[in-house]
Parts: sequence; C-alpha cells; structure tokens
Amino acid sequence: MKYTYDDENFRLSVDLDEELDVSSCKSLRSIIDGYIMRYEPKEFILNLTHVKFMDSSGIGLLIGRYNLIKLLDSKMTIINATQSIKRVLELSNITKNINLRSE
Amino acid sequence: MENNLKIEIDSNISNIAVVRVAVATFVSNLEISIDDLMDIKTAVSEAVTNSIEHGYENYSGKVIVEAKITSITDDIVTIIIKDDGIGISDIDLATTPTYTSKPELEHAGLGFTIMESFMDQIEIDSSVNKGTTIKLIKIIKKKKSI
Repeated sequence: MKYTYDDENFRLSVDLDEELDVSSCKSLRSIIDGYIMRYEPKEFILNLTHVKFMDSSGIGLLIGRYNLIKLLDSKMTIINATQSIKRVLELSNITKNINLRSE
Repeated sequence: MENNLKIEIDSNISNIAVVRVAVATFVSNLEISIDDLMDIKTAVSEAVTNSIEHGYENYSGKVIVEAKITSITDDIVTIIIKDDGIGISDIDLATTPTYTSKPELEHAGLGFTIMESFMDQIEIDSSVNKGTTIKLIKIIKKKKSI
C-alpha cells in the first residue's frame, strides 16, 4: 500500500496492492482512516489497479471509508477495479454512492 | 472420473488466503473461465471467513475444506467447508443480504449473498454449539467441440 496527497486539489490517493479479505482489511482500515483524518481530503481516491482479489470484507472496507468521507462532505472514487471485483461490488449498493472510474 | 482435495487449517484468518488459493489451483486444471474460477475462489473465501470469524469467534478450532471434481458430461465442483464452532441459530436471518451479527467490525453482511450468487447451489447444515457445514456446488459446462 502507498498513498499520495495532492494539496492543490485536496485529493488523497491510496494505492492498494494486497488481496482484500478479512485479514488485510482489519489492518488497512485503521491505516487508511489515519490518512483521511490527517488530511481531511475533498476527494478520496482508492486505486485498485493492483488488487487481484476481493471478497465481502473488501466491501465492508469500502463502505466504512465511504461513511467517513461522507462525514467530511467529500467524495470518494474507486479506480481500475478488475472485472471480478466489479462483480462483487455489484452485489452491494455501494456503487450508488461511490464513483467507479477506469484510467 | 473424480478428483479430491482435503485441507485442514487452524482457525486463523491468515489461513483463509491459503485455502482459497489451494482450491482455485485445484480447479484450475479444468477447462474453466476466469469468471468461474474467481466465483469459486470468492465463495470459498466467504465460507472459511464465516467459520473462523463467527463459528470460532471466541476460541480456536479446525476448519476442514474438501473439494471434489466429478466429471460426467460437465465438470461438477463440490466444496464442503466444515467447522465445529458455535453454529448458526437462525439461518434465514444469517443469509439475509446485508445482515451482519457484527456491524461494529464493518462486515458487509454479504457473505452468504456472494456464495448464493456465485455458486449454482448452496446447502447449509448447522447445529447450535455443534458446528456448521456448508456445501457449495458449481457446474462447469464443457465447451462443445465442433
């Protein structure tokens, strides 16, 4: 995992490269929340380009971060979710609130 | 023709990845699409996560995973995930989409929804304080040769 903060656009980007299951999500959520609380970004971008696997724990991770971003009145974007991750996402309502983008 | 795999793990969340990768590798010898392979991998991950996080929530135990490939006209993949944990008292409630017994842990409550959506058949056999056995079945249709 790595992150960058763009202070001109108040944009926090987090690039994940681990498989998102209950094991990785437990540690990731407190780390990511730490960055969100530190920067209070206007936009939070989660880059899933290098994430090869995600189960429902990953959805829990995304919903939890979205709820925090919503409190800040900011927006959240997921980029480059693989086809199989999109199929998991479609089973939740999360795509109504979070933008999905490929680049 | 039949082929079998059996794995026993301790109820440690770091073992979930080991099991799903092993089962995915086991079925990858079939003529199987990436979508079907990922469906099986994800459903297995959900079932094993449930056994460890819910079945053995306060103590440790063993989870046994058996995968079987039966090749008749099509290939039938059957996976059984068995624990001796606390069991599920209300299966209807547990399988309700977005229901979770642990909202504070950010569970999405979609484990059974994923198993039901990604597999062709699911059977849940659970007894309180005795354990839970989940049977997942996926039919891999053989491509017709021309």
